[in-house]
Amino acid sequence: MTKYNIWFFGSLLIATVVALPIITVFFSFFSETSNYFQVLKNTFLFDYILNSFLILFFVLIITFFLGVSCAYFVSFYEFPLSNFFSWALILAFAIPSYIFAFSIIAFFENYGTAFSILTLLFGEYNYNPIIPKLDGMIGSIIAISFSLFPYVYVLTRSSFFFQSNNYIEVGKNLGLSEKETFAKIILPSARPAIIAGLSLVAMECLSDFGTVSFFSVSTLTTGIYNSWLSFDDLNSANQISFILLLFILILLSIEIHSRKEAKYHQPGRGFKPINKIKLSGKKALFAFMFCSLVLLISFIFPVSQMIYWSVKFPKYIQDIDIFKINLNTLKLVCLASLVLVSISLLINYGSRISKSKILNYLTNFSLSGYAIPGIILAVAFITLFSNISDLITNNTNLGSTKKIFIGSIFGLVLAYFIRFFSLSFNGIKSSYEKINSSIDESAYLLGYSKIKTFSLIHVPHLKSNILLIIVLISLEIIKELPITMILRPFNFETFATQAYVYASQDLLEAAALPSLFLIFWSTILIIFSSKYILSSKN
Amino acid sequence: MKKHIILSYLFLVAFAGSLFASEVNIFSARHYDSDVQLYEKFTAKTGIKVNVVSGKSGALEKRIIEEGADSKADLYITADAGRLGAFEANLQGGLTSAAIKSVVPSNFRTSKWTGIAKRARIVYFAPERVSGAELAGLTYESLADPKWKGRLVIRASNNIYNQSLVASLIKNNGKGKVADWSKGMVANMARSPKGNDRAQILAVAAGEADIAVANTYYLALMLSGKKGPEQQAAAKKVKPFFPNQDGRGTHMNISGAGLVKGAPNKANAIKLVEFLLSEEAQNHIVNNTFEYPMIKGVSPHPLVVNMGLDFRQDLKTKVVNYGKRQADALEVMTAAGWK
Repeated sequence: MTKYNIWFFGSLLIATVVALPIITVFFSFFSETSNYFQVLKNTFLFDYILNSFLILFFVLIITFFLGVSCAYFVSFYEFPLSNFFSWALILAFAIPSYIFAFSIIAFFENYGTAFSILTLLFGEYNYNPIIPKLDGMIGSIIAISFSLFPYVYVLTRSSFFFQSNNYIEVGKNLGLSEKETFAKIILPSARPAIIAGLSLVAMECLSDFGTVSFFSVSTLTTGIYNSWLSFDDLNSANQISFILLLFILILLSIEIHSRKEAKYHQPGRGFKPINKIKLSGKKALFAFMFCSLVLLISFIFPVSQMIYWSVKFPKYIQDIDIFKINLNTLKLVCLASLVLVSISLLINYGSRISKSKILNYLTNFSLSGYAIPGIILAVAFITLFSNISDLITNNTNLGSTKKIFIGSIFGLVLAYFIRFFSLSFNGIKSSYEKINSSIDESAYLLGYSKIKTFSLIHVPHLKSNILLIIVLISLEIIKELPITMILRPFNFETFATQAYVYASQDLLEAAALPSLFLIFWSTILIIFSSKYILSSKN
Repeated sequence: MKKHIILSYLFLVAFAGSLFASEVNIFSARHYDSDVQLYEKFTAKTGIKVNVVSGKSGALEKRIIEEGADSKADLYITADAGRLGAFEANLQGGLTSAAIKSVVPSNFRTSKWTGIAKRARIVYFAPERVSGAELAGLTYESLADPKWKGRLVIRASNNIYNQSLVASLIKNNGKGKVADWSKGMVANMARSPKGNDRAQILAVAAGEADIAVANTYYLALMLSGKKGPEQQAAAKKVKPFFPNQDGRGTHMNISGAGLVKGAPNKANAIKLVEFLLSEEAQNHIVNNTFEYPMIKGVSPHPLVVNMGLDFRQDLKTKVVNYGKRQADALEVMTAAGWK
């Protein structure tokens, strides 16, 4: 018997709020669309799907190669700076792929940075024809791959890290060559982690909006955006979203499935760190060069390009109100973290003390927010709240409620809540489950109230975990673009929106400074949490 | 208790914007920093606070539509007449004061929106590879001539400046002729369309193409050194050419402001538009954005003057047609395979 108590209704409410965008998208699938969707079906829809797939396909190959190779080198071998690389390679997380895209354009365009470097080195000459133009599809694939490969890297590395033996030694004992050991033992052992990483990459890749729009490649997300913007057809936008969501739901189930499998690979009691094999000579040089190159391209290259611009065009340093943008970002991060963490804590606590199964299903259902691309979420959010508001004004004397939700900090935080609830709920759940429930009973026996048990026993246990969740939420919000772009209030910029607004106005050099700040804060957060990220199993 | 405090804080933040008594709210798709300085001057003069949401034109328009009667938007500012024209159903009349009508020529305004500054969409060429004889009498129409095969660069068809240019051609020549013209344009392209206007000019400088179509202010911007010494040097390798001088004149477009339907601060919005058309504001605009002034008696930036001012502007084709023919323009370009 389920108890329909306050916890049940609380969880039901949260689950409904978080699931609203998906429900909106789903229902609009059955509503009428304009002619545009018909025209689109006959002309470009196939191209959109094809482009999304091509990008996805190559991004998966590249992130697999980069992520697994790097994880393999730093987990099993010792070579110059290998310990440094093991955390430095995560820094690519600090670079959103749209900022990577700005850097690629700036570097390779006619009379761009590459041209300046060549001129400086070899004197005046028209180098433009010999500089490759990395744009369009290729540019998008590179930008997305190098900013997303850390997902594969982090998960694969931690899967290697928790293996009790050095598989290379096992391979040697079995008489296998190094290549055979890699293909037959190491790769299969990390399979669930690799698949989990790749499906995260796939979800992010399919929802990418900034990068592809910057390289003018039309994908499903640009289709959604265009049918909404250019043709005023929210239903078409939602129907394309539905196609995209189907792909993403498939990926999500693959991810959840492989995560379950990954659990079987966790270490027993006799866990000890792997004895790394010391490399020397050419092999050490190769591993070192490989990791350096990945770090160079994924992190140092975009950062240097942004620094170079900020120095070259110092005018923008005084033009941009950095203090205010810092404050805005801080405000969003604080409000969103506060709301997300406190509600996640409450719901986790509720399902702990009520031990209800339905509650578990409900919360599982509400985790879908993270899988929805930000752009779809923003469109669905506006659709939903303008419909609700119209419903209210048409049937009652009450005024419109649109102002409360659209173009307000409150609305923005609510949208972030929908998007990142899964991240924060799951993060807290994983460590809540580690607190044995017998501890609660002992506390009650000692005369502790439920509230006291929660605040004096649970919260201190969860402290470091909560901190990590706050860091991850902050990282996501600092980089978040489409939701903030569409829902933000007047006179309100974050580093991401400021950079994007400048970039779309052909002022890439002005976008450098906000980008640099965005990277700076993200880097600090990553360094701060790298120990947790690297040792986490999920 | 704690929750109450948080909630009231949230609401306070959400409504903080509406606490100012005298204000005007701008949705701007044209967000140069120099515009912000201009708004500050306006506030200093009138005490009216200027609030801005910037973004891409499409997203801003949609937000105004979705917010409907609740929209706080007073003015919609954008860098193309085509945008304003296409958005006309969501604008209202009222920009009819003498201060506006007397200074803005009638082909650059309606009662709902008005031009603030002008730009021309012209041809750039590499003097090393294109002779004066080849250019003589060049029109937009003759850009489709096979003699330019593999020599022309222009940006993609989804770009509004191109849509407005093609819309003006449809207005003057008819849709059928322009459909053929679009095919000729595609056949002449040196590369598949990519990049912004500046990238087209740089492609000519770099030798990727011989002629490019782009707006006037981009060349001046590069020549000014604001884009760095490399682009300044590159800009010196190309020369501007003003097409259709023997006929209706060169295609003109505007940066403009439209009065949003249901604007809560209509009077202030009109005051701001009048200010933007004042001599002081016009001087500020032309010296920062390298556009042409909307009003008489103000000189463009010296670099723009150097490009030549004595060209014939197309004052015959009303810019309101750019919005009306926009869908047709996109259709003929797409049909021609113009990416």
